Amino acid sequence: MFKMFLTNLKMMVRGRQALFWSLFFPLVFTIIFGFFFGGTNASVGTVALISESNTELATTLEKAMTDSSLFKIQKETDLNTAKDLLKKNKITAVVEIPADFGSLKNDAAKEIIVINDPANAQSNLAVTGFLDKFLTNVNFQVQKAQPIYSLKVETTTDSALTYFDFVLVGLIGMALMNASIQGIAISMAKYRQDKILKRITTTPLKSWRFVFAEVLSRLVQNLAQISLILIIGIYFFHAHISGNILLLGLFALLGGLLFQSIGFAIASVATTVDAAQGMSIAVTIPMMFLAGVFFPIDQLPKWLFSIVQYLPLAPLLRMMRQIGLESASPLVNPINITIVLIWIVIMLFISIMRFRLADE
Amino acid sequence: MVENVIEVKDLTKKYNAGDGKLVAVDKISFEVQKGEVFGLLGENGAGKTTTLEMIEGLRKPTDGEIKVLGHDVVHEVQDIKEKIGVQLQSSAYYDYLKLREILDLFGSFYQKHLDPDDLFKMVGLESKANQYIKNLSGGQKQRFSIIASLINDPDIVFLDEPTTGLDPIGRRNTWDIIAKIKGKGKTIILTTHYMEEAEILCDRVAIMEKGKIITIGKPHKLIEQTKTPYKIEFVLAKEDTSFIDRLMESCEAKDCDIKKLPGKTAHFEMNIRSQGLLNKAVEILQKENPESFTIGRATLEDLFIELTGKTIADEENGNV
Repeated sequence: MFKMFLTNLKMMVRGRQALFWSLFFPLVFTIIFGFFFGGTNASVGTVALISESNTELATTLEKAMTDSSLFKIQKETDLNTAKDLLKKNKITAVVEIPADFGSLKNDAAKEIIVINDPANAQSNLAVTGFLDKFLTNVNFQVQKAQPIYSLKVETTTDSALTYFDFVLVGLIGMALMNASIQGIAISMAKYRQDKILKRITTTPLKSWRFVFAEVLSRLVQNLAQISLILIIGIYFFHAHISGNILLLGLFALLGGLLFQSIGFAIASVATTVDAAQGMSIAVTIPMMFLAGVFFPIDQLPKWLFSIVQYLPLAPLLRMMRQIGLESASPLVNPINITIVLIWIVIMLFISIMRFRLADE
Repeated sequence: MVENVIEVKDLTKKYNAGDGKLVAVDKISFEVQKGEVFGLLGENGAGKTTTLEMIEGLRKPTDGEIKVLGHDVVHEVQDIKEKIGVQLQSSAYYDYLKLREILDLFGSFYQKHLDPDDLFKMVGLESKANQYIKNLSGGQKQRFSIIASLINDPDIVFLDEPTTGLDPIGRRNTWDIIAKIKGKGKTIILTTHYMEEAEILCDRVAIMEKGKIITIGKPHKLIEQTKTPYKIEFVLAKEDTSFIDRLMESCEAKDCDIKKLPGKTAHFEMNIRSQGLLNKAVEILQKENPESFTIGRATLEDLFIELTGKTIADEENGNV
């Protein structure tokens, strides 16, 4: 069995195409999301600033904007040029400080003009929020008033979590799901089609040993996936994985087992490689978008959420985020582990009842 | 004393078909003796492969008994698998393993195994040992497939249609390998639908039709039992009906028959019951001075046609 296990690993490394899809494809996702949302830079883009006022207020605002990490400032002098840059998506907004803004003259301009692209909702919110807060403070100072009520925000974790942290854990789940379900279903269907499984049954090797060697080698692959995604995410894009990494890895491997059992269940009913491919895609694609890889599923319509929360990947990701992002116990919400175990039992039952190395 | 290594008794295999049970193998019994090459012959769907796979322990019999090397196939299949080697009909091997690695892997499944290099040498594949299976020709793949079945130094080797799809040279090479395996004292049980191949290779054959064994024995003995064990094949310069009539008059209808063979013009085959009638027909033919004529004996194919009333080609083309 050990020989079979080592041979499986050798074949995995030699199967370049499969290796690409299982290891590098999720890494590409990690890198793309890392560039967009990773690191400590929370900039929402570049804002063109046209300042026609030399007053103290205008200068203070300009400095505040320049010092802010929310966006980068690009100074412009001509409004039409700035608008043109906005149309070409080279900047995310234009802020125009009119002449005399901040002057004590009665007829001096009192408004700052923001021109934005409605498509950049996140940037628009950041820019207008920043300016609104700045002007509110100025108004308080002018009126010599002190704010009475304020907001205190607390999070479930001490670390400053970003969207990238959320999606990084999702990407680990996605990688495990794709590699395990598709890997097992397609390779077993191919082995059956090529009569390799039947050839194995002519030898004294027990079926369970063959399956065990396959599962073990896939878990090694899963471990490589988890490690690579975490290393890239943490060291290159400064993801905040504050929880116990070993525990995170352990539960991710539990996910690997879950998805392998789904792969075997598919292989037990798919008679050809094409069928196995189609069935595994039909299972993985909906889970990729509906089980919380890229966004929290509680944003979905209530009826849809009530269904998709039970998809195998959804409770697994909830547990992995509890461990990795919130430093909490994965069993803090026992329903998650219960759903995962139920899925494993169901899939193993189907596999044991239906999966055969050779047809009778 | 003859030692039976395989004993099959009343073996039956039924499958659930749409409208009832399909009987793939119907109460067959036979023995295979140690050291012989035993052939299971018959057209596609006759039950050869199903029989073979039940003996190998890959399929469960519906009824009957099979003993391989004294072990019961149903209850002691693991013991049997240690001692047999199996080459499946059109089986592939791992794409990403080199030939030596495949043999190493399969060898690891057994308690004892041979050195892969000796096996490569046996079939002239030494230079391919570190190649992938995709780099082999059809004949080389088949040779590799045979040595893969020998990795555990088995007592019995099962070869399921080992020459199907090979060109004439590939077939001859495979025959040589089978002879070498027999030379090592192994028992070989093979299936084929090439009758001349069975006639050359097999010590004994069983001809199957529709799940039953219709005859069993040594090929030459079976051929001797045909109604017309002698035959003459001849080509005339042109079609000559009067000559054919004259030839037919040399014997009674029950003792011989003449049929025109397909293809070439004026190409005939005459099947004859006795030596005396053969001599008479040869004398008449010599006087006619045909372009070519060959005297021979009946073949297994003739026997098959006689027993079933059809050729294997007929079966495969659906001309039944």
